Amino acid sequence: MFISDTKAQRMHIAKTGFVYLLVSLFCVLFGAVYEHFSHEVYSGYMIYAFVFPLAGGALPFAVLSLYGRIRPPGRLSLNLYNAGIAALTVGSIMEGVLEIYGTTNDLLRVYWFVGFGLAGIGLMLYVTGLLKNKSRKENL
Amino acid sequence: MGFLSKKYVWAILYTVLLVSFTLYTALDTFVITRVYSVVQSEESEIDSGANSTAAESGSQNESSAEGTESADSSQFTESAVITENAYSDQNISITITEYREYDTTIYVADVYVSSAEYLQTAFAQNAYGQNITEKTSVIAEASNAILAINGDYYGSQKKGYVLKNGVLYREAPSSDQEDLVIWEDGSFEIITESDVSASTLLDNGALQVLSFGPALVMDGSVSVSESEEVGKAKASNPRTAIAVVDDLHYLFIVSDGRTDESEGLTLYQLAAFTQSLGAEIVYNLDGGGSSTMYFNGEVINNPTSDGNSIKERSVSDIVYIGY
Repeated sequence: MFISDTKAQRMHIAKTGFVYLLVSLFCVLFGAVYEHFSHEVYSGYMIYAFVFPLAGGALPFAVLSLYGRIRPPGRLSLNLYNAGIAALTVGSIMEGVLEIYGTTNDLLRVYWFVGFGLAGIGLMLYVTGLLKNKSRKENL
Repeated sequence: MGFLSKKYVWAILYTVLLVSFTLYTALDTFVITRVYSVVQSEESEIDSGANSTAAESGSQNESSAEGTESADSSQFTESAVITENAYSDQNISITITEYREYDTTIYVADVYVSSAEYLQTAFAQNAYGQNITEKTSVIAEASNAILAINGDYYGSQKKGYVLKNGVLYREAPSSDQEDLVIWEDGSFEIITESDVSASTLLDNGALQVLSFGPALVMDGSVSVSESEEVGKAKASNPRTAIAVVDDLHYLFIVSDGRTDESEGLTLYQLAAFTQSLGAEIVYNLDGGGSSTMYFNGEVINNPTSDGNSIKERSVSDIVYIGY
Protein backbone atom coordinates (compact mmCIF):
# COMPACT_ATOMS: atom_id res chain seq x y z
CA MET A 1 0.00 0.00 0.00
CA PHE A 2 2.70 2.45 1.06
CA ILE A 3 4.89 1.50 -1.86
CA SER A 4 2.14 1.95 -4.41
CA ASP A 5 1.13 5.30 -2.82
CA THR A 6 4.70 6.58 -3.06
CA LYS A 7 4.95 5.40 -6.61
CA ALA A 8 1.73 7.15 -7.52
CA GLN A 9 2.99 10.33 -5.87
CA ARG A 10 6.24 10.13 -7.77
CA MET A 11 4.41 9.56 -10.99
CA HIS A 12 2.20 12.56 -10.30
CA ILE A 13 5.17 14.78 -9.51
CA ALA A 14 7.02 13.51 -12.58
CA LYS A 15 3.97 14.27 -14.71
CA THR A 16 3.81 17.83 -13.37
CA GLY A 17 7.50 18.24 -14.12
CA PHE A 18 6.96 16.92 -17.64
CA VAL A 19 4.17 19.44 -18.24
CA TYR A 20 6.51 22.19 -17.06
CA LEU A 21 9.14 20.87 -19.47
CA LEU A 22 6.65 21.07 -22.34
CA VAL A 23 5.76 24.63 -21.32
CA SER A 24 9.48 25.48 -21.29
CA LEU A 25 9.92 24.06 -24.79
CA PHE A 26 6.88 26.02 -25.97
CA CYS A 27 8.43 29.21 -24.56
CA VAL A 28 11.73 28.49 -26.34
CA LEU A 29 9.88 27.93 -29.60
CA PHE A 30 7.59 30.93 -29.17
CA GLY A 31 10.54 33.19 -28.33
CA ALA A 32 12.54 31.94 -31.32
CA VAL A 33 9.67 32.47 -33.75
CA TYR A 34 8.85 35.90 -32.29
CA GLU A 35 12.48 37.01 -32.43
CA HIS A 36 12.76 35.73 -35.99
CA PHE A 37 10.09 38.20 -37.09
CA SER A 38 11.21 41.10 -34.91
CA HIS A 39 13.82 42.51 -37.31
CA GLU A 40 16.66 41.64 -34.99
CA VAL A 41 15.24 43.61 -32.11
CA TYR A 42 16.07 41.41 -29.15
CA SER A 43 14.54 41.15 -25.73
CA GLY A 44 16.02 39.10 -22.91
CA TYR A 45 12.53 38.76 -21.41
CA MET A 46 11.34 37.02 -24.56
CA ILE A 47 14.43 34.89 -25.09
CA TYR A 48 14.67 33.73 -21.48
CA ALA A 49 10.97 33.38 -20.66
CA PHE A 50 11.50 29.60 -20.66
CA VAL A 51 13.68 29.87 -17.56
CA PHE A 52 10.66 30.32 -15.27
CA PRO A 53 8.89 27.03 -16.13
CA LEU A 54 12.23 25.25 -16.45
CA ALA A 55 14.00 26.40 -13.29
CA GLY A 56 10.80 26.96 -11.34
CA GLY A 57 8.94 23.87 -12.53
CA ALA A 58 10.60 21.16 -14.60
CA LEU A 59 13.84 20.97 -12.60
CA PRO A 60 12.48 21.06 -9.03
CA PHE A 61 9.70 18.61 -9.88
CA ALA A 62 12.22 16.32 -11.58
CA VAL A 63 14.35 16.38 -8.44
CA LEU A 64 11.29 15.72 -6.27
CA SER A 65 10.22 12.79 -8.41
CA LEU A 66 13.70 11.28 -8.24
CA TYR A 67 14.32 11.71 -4.55
CA GLY A 68 10.83 12.35 -3.43
CA ARG A 69 9.07 10.92 -0.60
CA ILE A 70 8.01 14.51 -0.24
CA ARG A 71 4.32 14.57 -0.80
CA PRO A 72 2.97 18.05 -1.46
CA PRO A 73 0.99 18.96 1.67
CA GLY A 74 -2.42 19.64 0.13
CA ARG A 75 -3.24 21.21 -3.22
CA LEU A 76 -3.29 24.81 -2.05
CA SER A 77 0.47 25.23 -1.93
CA LEU A 78 0.85 23.56 -5.32
CA ASN A 79 -1.94 25.62 -6.89
CA LEU A 80 -0.47 28.87 -5.63
CA TYR A 81 3.03 27.93 -6.71
CA ASN A 82 1.91 26.90 -10.21
CA ALA A 83 -0.10 30.12 -10.51
CA GLY A 84 2.97 32.13 -9.56
CA ILE A 85 5.18 30.44 -12.15
CA ALA A 86 2.44 30.93 -14.78
CA ALA A 87 2.23 34.65 -14.01
CA LEU A 88 6.03 35.02 -14.18
CA THR A 89 6.21 33.16 -17.51
CA VAL A 90 3.39 35.11 -19.14
CA GLY A 91 4.74 38.35 -17.65
CA SER A 92 8.17 37.70 -19.11
CA ILE A 93 6.69 37.06 -22.56
CA MET A 94 4.57 40.22 -22.33
CA GLU A 95 7.60 42.25 -21.23
CA GLY A 96 9.38 40.88 -24.30
CA VAL A 97 6.54 41.74 -26.66
CA LEU A 98 6.36 45.31 -25.40
CA GLU A 99 10.13 45.74 -25.28
CA ILE A 100 10.50 44.56 -28.87
CA TYR A 101 7.70 46.90 -29.95
CA GLY A 102 9.48 49.73 -28.09
CA THR A 103 6.89 50.57 -25.51
CA THR A 104 6.10 50.09 -21.84
CA ASN A 105 3.08 49.62 -19.61
CA ASP A 106 2.88 49.95 -15.84
CA LEU A 107 0.44 47.03 -15.74
CA LEU A 108 3.37 44.70 -16.41
CA ARG A 109 4.43 45.15 -12.80
CA VAL A 110 1.35 43.19 -11.77
CA TYR A 111 2.79 40.01 -13.32
CA TRP A 112 5.97 40.23 -11.27
CA PHE A 113 4.16 41.18 -8.08
CA VAL A 114 1.54 38.43 -8.43
CA GLY A 115 4.04 35.90 -9.79
CA PHE A 116 6.66 36.18 -7.08
CA GLY A 117 3.96 36.69 -4.47
CA LEU A 118 1.96 33.55 -5.27
CA ALA A 119 5.04 31.41 -5.87
CA GLY A 120 6.51 32.62 -2.59
CA ILE A 121 3.32 31.94 -0.62
CA GLY A 122 2.98 28.52 -2.27
CA LEU A 123 6.54 27.65 -1.34
CA MET A 124 6.02 28.90 2.19
CA LEU A 125 2.88 26.79 2.64
CA TYR A 126 4.74 23.78 1.26
CA VAL A 127 7.63 24.13 3.67
CA THR A 128 5.27 24.84 6.58
CA GLY A 129 3.24 21.74 5.68
CA LEU A 130 6.35 19.60 5.57
CA LEU A 131 7.49 20.82 8.96
CA LYS A 132 4.06 20.11 10.42
CA ASN A 133 4.08 16.61 8.93
CA LYS A 134 7.52 15.99 10.37
CA SER A 135 6.59 17.11 13.86
CA ARG A 136 3.40 15.00 13.70
CA LYS A 137 5.44 11.90 12.81
CA GLU A 138 7.86 12.61 15.63
CA ASN A 139 5.00 12.94 18.09
CA LEU A 140 3.54 9.57 17.03
CA MET B 1 -11.11 29.48 0.63
CA GLY B 2 -11.77 25.78 0.06
CA PHE B 3 -12.12 26.23 -3.68
CA LEU B 4 -8.49 27.32 -3.81
CA SER B 5 -7.51 23.76 -3.06
CA LYS B 6 -9.62 22.24 -5.80
CA LYS B 7 -7.56 21.30 -8.78
CA TYR B 8 -9.67 22.14 -11.82
CA VAL B 9 -11.77 24.98 -10.40
CA TRP B 10 -8.64 26.81 -9.43
CA ALA B 11 -6.89 26.09 -12.72
CA ILE B 12 -9.85 27.25 -14.80
CA LEU B 13 -10.50 30.38 -12.76
CA TYR B 14 -6.88 31.39 -12.68
CA THR B 15 -6.37 30.75 -16.39
CA VAL B 16 -9.40 32.89 -17.22
CA LEU B 17 -8.09 35.63 -14.94
CA LEU B 18 -4.56 35.50 -16.37
CA VAL B 19 -5.75 35.46 -19.98
CA SER B 20 -8.21 38.30 -19.34
CA PHE B 21 -5.57 40.43 -17.67
CA THR B 22 -3.09 39.74 -20.47
CA LEU B 23 -5.68 40.67 -23.09
CA TYR B 24 -6.49 43.87 -21.23
CA THR B 25 -2.79 44.74 -20.93
CA ALA B 26 -2.33 44.19 -24.67
CA LEU B 27 -5.42 46.24 -25.51
CA ASP B 28 -4.35 48.99 -23.11
CA THR B 29 -0.92 49.10 -24.71
CA PHE B 30 -1.89 48.91 -28.37
CA VAL B 31 -5.57 49.59 -28.91
CA ILE B 32 -7.56 51.47 -26.27
CA THR B 33 -7.65 55.14 -27.23
CA ARG B 34 -7.65 57.85 -24.60
CA VAL B 35 -7.78 61.50 -25.60
CA TYR B 36 -6.21 63.72 -22.98
CA SER B 37 -6.52 66.98 -24.85
CA VAL B 38 -7.42 68.29 -28.27
CA VAL B 39 -5.38 70.95 -30.01
CA GLN B 40 -7.62 73.90 -30.70
CA SER B 41 -7.78 75.56 -34.07
CA GLU B 42 -5.99 78.84 -34.54
CA GLU B 43 -9.27 80.73 -34.81
CA SER B 44 -10.54 79.56 -31.44
CA GLU B 45 -7.11 80.12 -29.98
CA ILE B 46 -7.10 83.73 -31.06
CA ASP B 47 -10.52 84.13 -29.46
CA SER B 48 -9.58 82.55 -26.17
CA GLY B 49 -5.90 83.43 -25.89
CA ALA B 50 -2.96 81.06 -25.92
CA ASN B 51 -2.37 78.62 -23.12
CA SER B 52 1.05 77.09 -22.85
CA THR B 53 0.41 74.20 -20.51
CA ALA B 54 -1.98 71.40 -21.30
CA ALA B 55 -3.55 69.65 -18.32
CA GLU B 56 -3.72 65.90 -18.75
CA SER B 57 -7.21 65.82 -17.28
CA GLY B 58 -9.21 64.71 -20.23
CA SER B 59 -10.73 68.13 -20.79
CA GLN B 60 -10.64 69.54 -24.27
CA ASN B 61 -9.42 72.99 -23.48
CA GLU B 62 -5.87 73.09 -24.74
CA SER B 63 -4.40 75.23 -27.42
CA SER B 64 -1.53 75.14 -29.84
CA ALA B 65 1.34 77.52 -29.36
CA GLU B 66 1.10 78.83 -32.84
CA GLY B 67 0.06 82.34 -32.21
CA THR B 68 -1.43 85.05 -34.32
CA GLU B 69 1.87 85.40 -36.15
CA SER B 70 1.33 82.24 -38.13
CA ALA B 71 0.60 82.92 -41.72
CA ASP B 72 -2.45 81.68 -43.55
CA SER B 73 -2.03 78.13 -44.75
CA SER B 74 -2.92 79.03 -48.30
CA GLN B 75 -0.04 81.50 -48.52
CA PHE B 76 2.50 79.00 -49.81
CA THR B 77 0.35 77.81 -52.66
CA GLU B 78 0.09 81.26 -54.20
CA SER B 79 3.70 82.39 -54.33
CA ALA B 80 5.54 79.08 -54.29
CA VAL B 81 7.68 77.54 -56.99
CA ILE B 82 7.16 73.82 -56.85
CA THR B 83 8.97 71.11 -58.77
CA GLU B 84 9.15 67.36 -58.32
CA ASN B 85 11.93 67.61 -55.76
CA ALA B 86 11.92 71.22 -54.64
CA TYR B 87 9.75 73.86 -53.09
CA SER B 88 10.48 77.49 -52.62
CA ASP B 89 8.68 80.65 -51.57
CA GLN B 90 9.67 83.80 -49.69
CA ASN B 91 9.93 81.98 -46.35
CA ILE B 92 10.67 78.37 -47.09
CA SER B 93 13.07 76.59 -49.40
CA ILE B 94 13.19 72.80 -49.61
CA THR B 95 15.29 70.58 -51.87
CA ILE B 96 14.97 66.81 -51.79
CA THR B 97 18.06 64.79 -52.73
CA GLU B 98 18.24 61.03 -52.97
CA TYR B 99 21.53 59.41 -51.90
CA ARG B 100 22.72 55.85 -52.22
CA GLU B 101 24.98 54.85 -49.31
CA TYR B 102 25.57 51.62 -47.37
CA ASP B 103 23.43 49.72 -49.89
CA THR B 104 20.53 51.93 -48.86
CA THR B 105 18.51 54.73 -50.40
CA ILE B 106 18.56 57.83 -48.22
CA TYR B 107 16.24 60.80 -48.74
CA VAL B 108 17.50 64.14 -47.53
CA ALA B 109 15.40 67.28 -47.44
CA ASP B 110 17.58 70.39 -47.30
CA VAL B 111 15.43 73.03 -45.61
CA TYR B 112 15.90 76.78 -45.22
CA VAL B 113 13.27 78.79 -43.37
CA SER B 114 13.05 82.47 -42.51
CA SER B 115 11.66 81.74 -39.05
CA ALA B 116 11.48 78.77 -36.68
CA GLU B 117 7.70 79.11 -36.66
CA TYR B 118 7.64 77.16 -39.92
CA LEU B 119 9.30 74.16 -38.27
CA GLN B 120 6.33 72.61 -36.54
CA THR B 121 4.95 69.42 -35.08
CA ALA B 122 1.46 67.94 -35.22
CA PHE B 123 -0.47 65.22 -33.43
CA ALA B 124 -2.43 62.44 -35.07
CA GLN B 125 -6.09 63.42 -35.16
CA ASN B 126 -5.01 66.77 -33.76
CA ALA B 127 -5.20 65.28 -30.28
CA TYR B 128 -2.82 64.34 -27.51
CA GLY B 129 -3.51 61.02 -25.82
CA GLN B 130 -2.91 57.31 -25.76
CA ASN B 131 -2.99 55.12 -28.87
CA ILE B 132 -4.06 58.00 -31.07
CA THR B 133 -2.36 57.37 -34.38
CA GLU B 134 -2.60 58.23 -38.05
CA LYS B 135 -0.34 57.82 -41.01
CA THR B 136 2.32 60.49 -41.41
CA SER B 137 0.84 61.52 -44.76
CA VAL B 138 -2.64 61.90 -43.26
CA ILE B 139 -1.40 64.09 -40.40
CA ALA B 140 0.73 66.06 -42.87
CA GLU B 141 -2.22 66.66 -45.16
CA ALA B 142 -4.42 67.77 -42.28
CA SER B 143 -1.66 70.18 -41.21
CA ASN B 144 -1.11 71.58 -44.72
CA ALA B 145 2.49 70.43 -44.46
CA ILE B 146 4.83 70.97 -47.38
CA LEU B 147 7.40 68.54 -45.99
CA ALA B 148 6.87 66.10 -43.15
CA ILE B 149 8.59 63.23 -41.41
CA ASN B 150 7.38 60.97 -38.62
CA GLY B 151 8.14 62.29 -35.14
CA ASP B 152 9.11 60.76 -31.82
CA TYR B 153 6.04 58.52 -31.42
CA TYR B 154 5.40 59.85 -27.92
CA GLY B 155 2.37 57.54 -27.68
CA SER B 156 4.53 54.44 -27.38
CA GLN B 157 5.92 55.63 -24.06
CA LYS B 158 4.21 56.46 -20.80
CA LYS B 159 6.99 58.81 -19.76
CA GLY B 160 9.16 61.36 -21.51
CA TYR B 161 8.47 65.00 -22.25
CA VAL B 162 5.81 65.94 -24.75
CA LEU B 163 6.17 69.60 -25.65
CA LYS B 164 4.81 70.50 -29.06
CA ASN B 165 4.46 73.89 -30.67
CA GLY B 166 5.13 75.61 -27.33
CA VAL B 167 2.54 73.64 -25.36
CA LEU B 168 3.57 71.25 -22.60
CA TYR B 169 1.49 68.06 -22.63
CA ARG B 170 3.55 65.62 -20.57
CA GLU B 171 6.03 66.49 -17.84
CA ALA B 172 6.92 63.05 -16.50
CA PRO B 173 10.64 62.58 -17.15
CA SER B 174 12.14 59.36 -18.38
CA SER B 175 15.50 58.90 -16.69
CA ASP B 176 18.55 59.23 -18.95
CA GLN B 177 16.28 60.09 -21.88
CA GLU B 178 18.14 62.31 -24.34
CA ASP B 179 15.86 64.91 -25.94
CA LEU B 180 16.17 67.39 -28.76
CA VAL B 181 14.98 70.88 -27.86
CA ILE B 182 14.11 73.28 -30.64
CA TRP B 183 14.20 76.81 -29.26
CA GLU B 184 12.20 79.81 -30.40
CA ASP B 185 15.11 81.10 -32.46
CA GLY B 186 15.28 77.78 -34.30
CA SER B 187 18.47 76.54 -32.66
CA PHE B 188 18.83 72.94 -31.48
CA GLU B 189 20.06 71.66 -28.14
CA ILE B 190 20.42 68.17 -26.73
CA ILE B 191 19.30 67.81 -23.11
CA THR B 192 18.78 64.93 -20.70
CA GLU B 193 15.39 64.77 -19.01
CA SER B 194 16.86 64.01 -15.61
CA ASP B 195 18.86 67.25 -15.80
CA VAL B 196 16.14 69.76 -16.61
CA SER B 197 12.38 69.82 -16.11
CA ALA B 198 9.93 70.22 -18.96
CA SER B 199 8.43 73.35 -17.40
CA THR B 200 11.88 74.94 -17.20
CA LEU B 201 12.38 74.22 -20.89
CA LEU B 202 9.00 75.79 -21.63
CA ASP B 203 9.79 78.85 -19.52
CA ASN B 204 13.14 79.22 -21.30
CA GLY B 205 11.46 79.29 -24.69
CA ALA B 206 11.40 75.74 -25.98
CA LEU B 207 9.11 75.46 -28.99
CA GLN B 208 9.47 71.73 -29.54
CA VAL B 209 10.90 68.83 -27.54
CA LEU B 210 11.48 65.58 -29.38
CA SER B 211 11.89 62.63 -27.07
CA PHE B 212 13.32 59.61 -28.86
CA GLY B 213 17.02 59.68 -29.59
CA PRO B 214 19.79 59.20 -29.21
CA ALA B 215 21.67 62.26 -30.41
CA LEU B 216 23.77 61.10 -33.35
CA VAL B 217 25.96 64.13 -33.89
CA MET B 218 26.79 66.87 -31.41
CA ASP B 219 28.95 69.92 -32.16
CA GLY B 220 29.69 68.40 -35.53
CA SER B 221 31.11 65.17 -34.09
CA VAL B 222 29.54 61.73 -34.23
CA SER B 223 28.28 60.94 -30.72
CA VAL B 224 27.26 57.30 -31.07
CA SER B 225 29.49 54.28 -31.13
CA GLU B 226 29.42 51.74 -33.94
CA SER B 227 27.55 49.26 -31.74
CA GLU B 228 25.04 51.67 -30.22
CA GLU B 229 21.41 51.10 -31.03
CA VAL B 230 17.93 52.21 -30.12
CA GLY B 231 16.66 50.07 -27.28
CA LYS B 232 17.48 46.52 -28.16
CA ALA B 233 17.73 46.95 -31.93
CA LYS B 234 20.91 45.46 -33.29
CA ALA B 235 20.47 45.74 -37.01
CA SER B 236 20.22 48.01 -39.98
CA ASN B 237 16.79 49.54 -40.21
CA PRO B 238 14.79 52.27 -41.89
CA ARG B 239 15.68 55.48 -40.05
CA THR B 240 14.42 58.99 -39.53
CA ALA B 241 16.50 61.87 -38.24
CA ILE B 242 16.43 65.64 -38.04
CA ALA B 243 19.53 67.84 -38.14
CA VAL B 244 20.59 71.45 -37.97
CA VAL B 245 23.37 72.68 -40.21
CA ASP B 246 23.32 76.38 -39.53
CA ASP B 247 20.90 79.09 -38.39
CA LEU B 248 17.44 78.11 -39.70
CA HIS B 249 19.04 75.59 -42.02
CA TYR B 250 17.87 72.04 -41.37
CA LEU B 251 18.08 68.55 -42.79
CA PHE B 252 15.26 66.01 -42.63
CA ILE B 253 16.67 62.55 -43.26
CA VAL B 254 14.79 59.31 -43.93
CA SER B 255 16.33 56.05 -45.09
CA ASP B 256 14.69 53.01 -46.58
CA GLY B 257 15.46 49.58 -45.13
CA ARG B 258 14.37 45.97 -44.60
CA THR B 259 13.93 45.48 -48.36
CA ASP B 260 15.97 43.80 -51.11
CA GLU B 261 16.76 47.23 -52.54
CA SER B 262 17.73 48.86 -49.26
CA GLU B 263 19.33 47.19 -46.31
CA GLY B 264 18.85 50.09 -43.94
CA LEU B 265 21.25 51.96 -41.69
CA THR B 266 22.76 51.47 -38.29
CA LEU B 267 22.73 54.50 -36.03
CA TYR B 268 26.43 54.96 -36.59
CA GLN B 269 26.04 54.87 -40.39
CA LEU B 270 23.22 57.40 -40.17
CA ALA B 271 25.34 59.62 -37.93
CA ALA B 272 28.40 59.41 -40.18
CA PHE B 273 26.35 60.08 -43.30
CA THR B 274 24.58 63.11 -41.85
CA GLN B 275 27.79 64.48 -40.41
CA SER B 276 29.27 64.34 -43.91
CA LEU B 277 26.51 66.70 -45.04
CA GLY B 278 27.75 69.31 -42.59
CA ALA B 279 25.24 68.79 -39.77
CA GLU B 280 26.13 70.25 -36.38
CA ILE B 281 23.47 68.40 -34.37
CA VAL B 282 21.65 65.29 -35.56
CA TYR B 283 18.88 63.63 -33.59
CA ASN B 284 17.43 60.20 -34.25
CA LEU B 285 13.64 59.92 -34.40
CA ASP B 286 11.36 56.90 -34.44
CA GLY B 287 12.46 54.52 -37.19
CA GLY B 288 11.64 51.09 -38.53
CA GLY B 289 8.17 50.89 -40.02
CA SER B 290 7.45 54.43 -38.87
CA SER B 291 10.10 56.04 -41.10
CA THR B 292 8.22 58.16 -43.61
CA MET B 293 8.98 61.29 -45.62
CA TYR B 294 6.13 63.25 -47.15
CA PHE B 295 6.71 66.02 -49.65
CA ASN B 296 4.25 68.06 -51.69
CA GLY B 297 1.37 65.67 -51.12
CA GLU B 298 3.23 62.40 -51.63
CA VAL B 299 5.17 59.88 -49.61
CA ILE B 300 8.57 59.76 -51.29
CA ASN B 301 10.34 56.93 -49.44
CA ASN B 302 9.36 53.26 -49.18
CA PRO B 303 7.98 52.81 -45.67
CA THR B 304 7.73 49.21 -44.57
CA SER B 305 7.44 47.29 -41.33
CA ASP B 306 8.06 43.78 -42.58
CA GLY B 307 10.06 44.42 -45.75
CA ASN B 308 7.43 42.74 -47.91
CA SER B 309 4.68 45.32 -48.26
CA ILE B 310 5.34 49.00 -48.77
CA LYS B 311 2.88 50.85 -46.60
CA GLU B 312 2.91 53.53 -43.97
CA ARG B 313 2.63 52.74 -40.30
CA SER B 314 0.37 54.94 -38.22
CA VAL B 315 2.23 57.16 -35.77
CA SER B 316 1.45 59.55 -32.94
CA ASP B 317 2.99 62.69 -34.36
CA ILE B 318 4.98 64.31 -37.13
CA VAL B 319 7.58 67.02 -37.60
CA TYR B 320 6.82 69.24 -40.55
CA ILE B 321 7.57 72.36 -42.48
CA GLY B 322 4.57 74.46 -43.31
CA TYR B 323 2.47 77.47 -42.52
